[in-house]
Amino acid sequence: MAVEVLWWLFAILIVGTALGVVVSRSVIHAAIFLLVALAGIAGMYVFLTVEFLALVQLLIYGGAVAVLVLLALMLTRQATGGERISLNGPQAPFAAIAAIGLAAILVASAVVTTWPRLVDDPDAVPLGRISEVLFEDFGATFILVSILLLVAVVGAIILARQEDAE
Amino acid sequence: MVPVENYLALSGILFAIGVYGVLARRNAILVLMSIELMLNAVALNFVAFAVFMDPEQITGAVVAVFVITVAAAEVGLALAIVIRYFRMRATSNIDEAAALKW
Repeated sequence: MAVEVLWWLFAILIVGTALGVVVSRSVIHAAIFLLVALAGIAGMYVFLTVEFLALVQLLIYGGAVAVLVLLALMLTRQATGGERISLNGPQAPFAAIAAIGLAAILVASAVVTTWPRLVDDPDAVPLGRISEVLFEDFGATFILVSILLLVAVVGAIILARQEDAE
Repeated sequence: MVPVENYLALSGILFAIGVYGVLARRNAILVLMSIELMLNAVALNFVAFAVFMDPEQITGAVVAVFVITVAAAEVGLALAIVIRYFRMRATSNIDEAAALKW
């Protein structure tokens, strides 16, 4: 029972901070909301008994991506002369209609559907099982993703480099 | 244990919030942050399905690892492009980034 209450607290926290990301009027506040929302999703992975993913989520999103986003926000700061310009475009009301419609469809289909082969009370997922699947069944994919990451990092450095020759 | 429907509904709401951010925001970095929200919603969906319906082979959890990796690569590249563009045009507003040719 206590787990359920805690789950709902986390769910409300995630949805609230995610809303903060998209409606906040300050880019820095939006970035901090994003950090809290992603940490809340790490909590969701703990509820799903996949602690390994929770740690990965906290390390990569809470650490690397949050710092990267904050740094980029500070590097692309525009001088607005102190006045607060709206961060949302004039299309925002239509975007809200589309998003609410999408949310209604997704939630309704998730609740209405009777899901097949449902395990009511799943056991904790052992870390060894994840590594077996990751390195044996998905070994080739793992190597491909590693190469992708390497290429992306090199590409990012080349793109962001200051070129004096131009 | 919380039923799987709750996770699916939460991930659907998160995805819709991300869609709203992508459609409504004007700053490229804020659009990117909304995309991160959408990617996280998808990963949560995968993990929920893996834990509840595929406990032997938990493929969804492994897919979530790949989603997180690709999202990290994507965010690095996209921020590099945004910084590059900001240096050229002194703006990160995607409405102004409409020129097809320099």
